[in-house]
Amino acid sequence: MKVNREQKINMYRSMIRIRKFEDKLEQIYRDGKLNGHSHTCHGGEAVAVGAIEALSEKDFIFSNHRGHGHFLARGTSPKNIMAECYGKVTGTNQGRSGSMYLVDTKRGMPVASGIVGGNICVAVGSALASKIKKDNVVTLSFFGDGATNIGFFHEALNMASVWNLPIIFLCENNQYAEATKREQHQKVKKISDRAISYAMPGITIDGTDVIKVYETVKEAVEKINQGEGPILIECLAYRLLGHSAGDLGIYRPRGEKKEWGKIHDPIKKYKKQLLKEGILNLQEIEKIEEEIQEEIKEAVRFAIESEEPLAKTVGKFVYQEEVNG
Amino acid sequence: MAKIMYIEALKSALREEMRKDKNVFIMGEDVTRYGFGINRGLVEEFSPSRVRNTPISEAAIIGSAVGAALRGMRPVAEIMFADFIMIGMDQIVNQAAKMSYLSNGKLSVPMVIRTPEGTEWCGGGAQHSQTLHSIFMNIPGLKLVIPSNPYDAKGLLKSSIRDNNPVIFFEHKQLYTQKGEIPEEEYTIPLGKAAIKKEGEDLTLVATSWMVKHSLEIAEDLKNKISIEVIDPRTLVPLDKDTIINSVKKTGRLLVVDESPVSGGVQGEIITVAMQEAFWNMEFPPRRIGSLNTPIPFSSALEEKVIPTKEKIKKEILSMFSD
Repeated sequence: MKVNREQKINMYRSMIRIRKFEDKLEQIYRDGKLNGHSHTCHGGEAVAVGAIEALSEKDFIFSNHRGHGHFLARGTSPKNIMAECYGKVTGTNQGRSGSMYLVDTKRGMPVASGIVGGNICVAVGSALASKIKKDNVVTLSFFGDGATNIGFFHEALNMASVWNLPIIFLCENNQYAEATKREQHQKVKKISDRAISYAMPGITIDGTDVIKVYETVKEAVEKINQGEGPILIECLAYRLLGHSAGDLGIYRPRGEKKEWGKIHDPIKKYKKQLLKEGILNLQEIEKIEEEIQEEIKEAVRFAIESEEPLAKTVGKFVYQEEVNG
Repeated sequence: MAKIMYIEALKSALREEMRKDKNVFIMGEDVTRYGFGINRGLVEEFSPSRVRNTPISEAAIIGSAVGAALRGMRPVAEIMFADFIMIGMDQIVNQAAKMSYLSNGKLSVPMVIRTPEGTEWCGGGAQHSQTLHSIFMNIPGLKLVIPSNPYDAKGLLKSSIRDNNPVIFFEHKQLYTQKGEIPEEEYTIPLGKAAIKKEGEDLTLVATSWMVKHSLEIAEDLKNKISIEVIDPRTLVPLDKDTIINSVKKTGRLLVVDESPVSGGVQGEIITVAMQEAFWNMEFPPRRIGSLNTPIPFSSALEEKVIPTKEKIKKEILSMFSD
């Protein structure tokens, strides 16, 4: 479970990549240069990076509407994600998704769900396939605190529990379901307590501590590989921006964002830790940030210069043409 | 050729496909116990891992079928009554139907949802008797199969399981005990091919599911007066437009009978498809019969008023030749 130096640096790079990507995207939306809905994951970087770093290549990940970070953490190129946000043919979905329903089949990431909680039952099916095939693949389902109020969540946890399926339910509790503060949409103190109803382990951890997230998910993966069933992991974090681009979060109590941003910004926190541990010095950090900044700039250039999808392809792939057997 | 019941034909298709492909499995509520007896015996042959009883959780049944299908399995999810599909509607409409398109064909969802629909012999009432297939015609990405007899049920279910798209397979409850001839040797019926159940010259009667039985009986009853061509589309998506259009061009008269409520139903869609091509061949305005636009009431005296009956269809046909 020990995290080596190289991994630690890679995780930092990955978190910075997500932050800078999201900063840029938010700006592009606020400038009115893009249509559609964009949900950035400012404050959730440690959840995405820590959890995904703990999985292996063969594992499957089901993402959601706030999914850019998940894909970036898994290694999908920022160019292709940015191009998708621009609706270009070089995008992850060749312009058919926009920001919300990204896909990367090469990296075990089926189409992300824009319906809150819509992917949780689907993820259970992936775990069921693993159970029947005995292929030792672990499935991880990402969702937010808001999704734990929808029926899918409860049906999924119950089914996974009854069948002892190899799945990690990973809740990024970022304190808000759209514009509603958590205390106003659910009474449970800890979302992980909901696991009790399904007789599965449930834990709550600091979701702004990337190493903690990594270690927790890694341990869960190992237990599942030893035959243990599902687990619910609640990662406490804070959504540093609004629900979607253009939401300035005026419904938040005064000072709340500032306080969280100061204490619980996962990137600031991790940077401090890396400096303290002597993994990176300030110069090295600066260099990483500059490199990533360039990468994101390049991604935007790539997206802008890419072609629009051809209109004649609009009807393709509504159905699969080939038949089995 | 052996004469077997519709439910036996379905079982036979499931058994053959499960023997052929280890990725095929069944899941649903009490599938080893109820399920109109369709799965009886399958759990003994294929193990509880491949014939799975589930919690009463339609969203999770359908959703997990989607997920398993994405991972290369071929789930046959049974929804005990079509009415219950509504709980899993998001998983069909927003998930299953979108995967191929959003991934540019890289993802496929080879799953079948089998479900009984329509009015019952014992009065299921408003939430156990609906005919809901028309709703799904408005969702691109789904295939809809609606077999009217044991032979079609077997051949179409086998094709549905082999298809790489989400298929909803609607079985009218009144058909379950109907008997029909099935060949000993293996066969399949392609999706998207209508069957001309009886040839005729004067009227094209497009009928689905249980209505096919009524229609064939009426065609026989009226054979000395009116020569009726009975067409069963067998699959609503894909719809075999050509067979319908060609028939209407020949007869100049069209009546569409389906148990869906008429408003926004499949009847209107089929009429439109036919009229766009065969309008100038028409000798009489096209007509449609479906259920009244009411919920299905329990009382038999009321239920009979709501659904299309043989008498109603016959009366409608005669009115189309009254001059």
